[in-house]
Amino acid sequence: MMRSLWSAASGMISQQTAVDTIANNLANVNTTGYKNEKAEFKSLLYQTLQTRTTTANGEEKPISAQVGLGTRVAAITSNFVQGPHLDSESYTAMAIDGDGFFAVRGADGNTYYTRNGDFKLSVGNDGNLTLVTSDGFPVLDSRGNAIEIPGGVNASKIQVTSEGAIGYLNAQNNFVDLNQTIGLFQFNNPAGLEKMSNSLLNVTDASGQALNEATTPNLVLSTVRQGYLEGSNVQVADEMVNLIVAQRAYEMNSKAIQASDDMLSQANQLKR
Amino acid sequence: MVKGLYTAYTGMINQQNRMDILTNNLANSATNGFKKEGSTSQSFDEQLAIKIKDTSAYGLPKGLGDVSLGVKIGECYTDYGQGSFRVTDNIYDMAIDGDGFFAISYTNKAGETSVKYTRDGAFTVNREGYLVTKDGDFVLNQAAAEAGNPGQAGYIQINPNLPLVVDEVGNYYQNDVLLGQVGVVDFADYNFLAKYGENMYELVEGGQVQPSNAQVSQGTLEMSNVNVVSEMVEMINITRAYESNQKIIQTIDDTLEKAVNSIGKA
Repeated sequence: MMRSLWSAASGMISQQTAVDTIANNLANVNTTGYKNEKAEFKSLLYQTLQTRTTTANGEEKPISAQVGLGTRVAAITSNFVQGPHLDSESYTAMAIDGDGFFAVRGADGNTYYTRNGDFKLSVGNDGNLTLVTSDGFPVLDSRGNAIEIPGGVNASKIQVTSEGAIGYLNAQNNFVDLNQTIGLFQFNNPAGLEKMSNSLLNVTDASGQALNEATTPNLVLSTVRQGYLEGSNVQVADEMVNLIVAQRAYEMNSKAIQASDDMLSQANQLKR
Repeated sequence: MVKGLYTAYTGMINQQNRMDILTNNLANSATNGFKKEGSTSQSFDEQLAIKIKDTSAYGLPKGLGDVSLGVKIGECYTDYGQGSFRVTDNIYDMAIDGDGFFAISYTNKAGETSVKYTRDGAFTVNREGYLVTKDGDFVLNQAAAEAGNPGQAGYIQINPNLPLVVDEVGNYYQNDVLLGQVGVVDFADYNFLAKYGENMYELVEGGQVQPSNAQVSQGTLEMSNVNVVSEMVEMINITRAYESNQKIIQTIDDTLEKAVNSIGKA
């Protein structure tokens, strides 16, 4: 019927996606290690309305009269900017300062990555303690093994250096190194990581292979801060402004549909 | 039959086309680097109307003067005015302040690679470290942008694990080492820019690339320059103009109805 109906519909659908993204950001405003997302749009292809176009003086123009057909969502990009470090009472809480990610072994045995350093200790059958995420997935060290702490060590005695080396204080308050370093991994393109549930990220072709900070040369190493958690990097004021923009844009597109509809109804009334 | 019927019809079609263009502006009111479009209306070429077999003038043809029989689109124009900036703090986001365009090496479905131009600086880095658009098309450096060469030599490759710094002229640095210049070019005449879609423009035959003196701003994106107030006013304008054309058709229809049904009735 009229192109404008579909153009406006594409605008409304895009803005819906934008609101979905904003709502998810706001819902995760207190999620540890959450990275905000943003919907980005691109224009759709153009059609030629009229081949010959002239200026007001009647001179021929080099391009024909073109009309665009609306918009689409080009990408939803995650913004991996550092979130604030929040003080935590937990001795096994860790925050990353830098571009690294923690590695965890998921239920299916594959390795996933996360910025959420809210770790817990789980007691195994042998009485040893394993560092796990709050969902119980083991956290991996730089060699890809689970991090084990001998049984009987009080959680308050666990010490993690800024390089990620883990150890504990014995009864004489001497540092006992466990010879394990918390694995930190970087990606060529973190925006290409696939987001899974439970704050986990999965490697994709777009992100590139995980680069182990311990073995890959020329990386800017990140540091681990024990007793801190990385807060969400969602900026509520930004999201509110984005919400206003998205909602108003949605509204205007619906107005364009109404106007097109009115025009069609008038065309309909021509024949009585 | 009656000239005015067709004149009013062209008016309605023209308003519909204007509505299409306006709706596209509204749909893209949140698209990065989108430039508002508009159209001019032009009257059809005037024609000399001649009354023939005029009995008042001894049956000689008599000129009535010029009449225009409708309206069409004159041209579609684009308002290349600066859009507002939005700070994103993403190091791969760039905005252009001034007259200029980023050059993109774009490969279409048929596998043909060509240079396209865009104001949308929402870039990212792929796993090989090339600076690309969100659709994965390569951003070109200054030399390739000016030469219009979409080849691999013009791609921008960086180390994605190091911070990227882009200065105002588009020079990009890593570890304080100058690596190259992000391509920003301008055109002698924007009339030679055709829209491709996907936020991109292509240069048609006759267009000339020239260096740009625009500034590149890292960590910001240029928003759409659509002014929603003027679009809404325009929308009222269009719907009313459409309505009046429709009324003209109805009136002519009424007149014809009289001519057909009432004249000659006993």
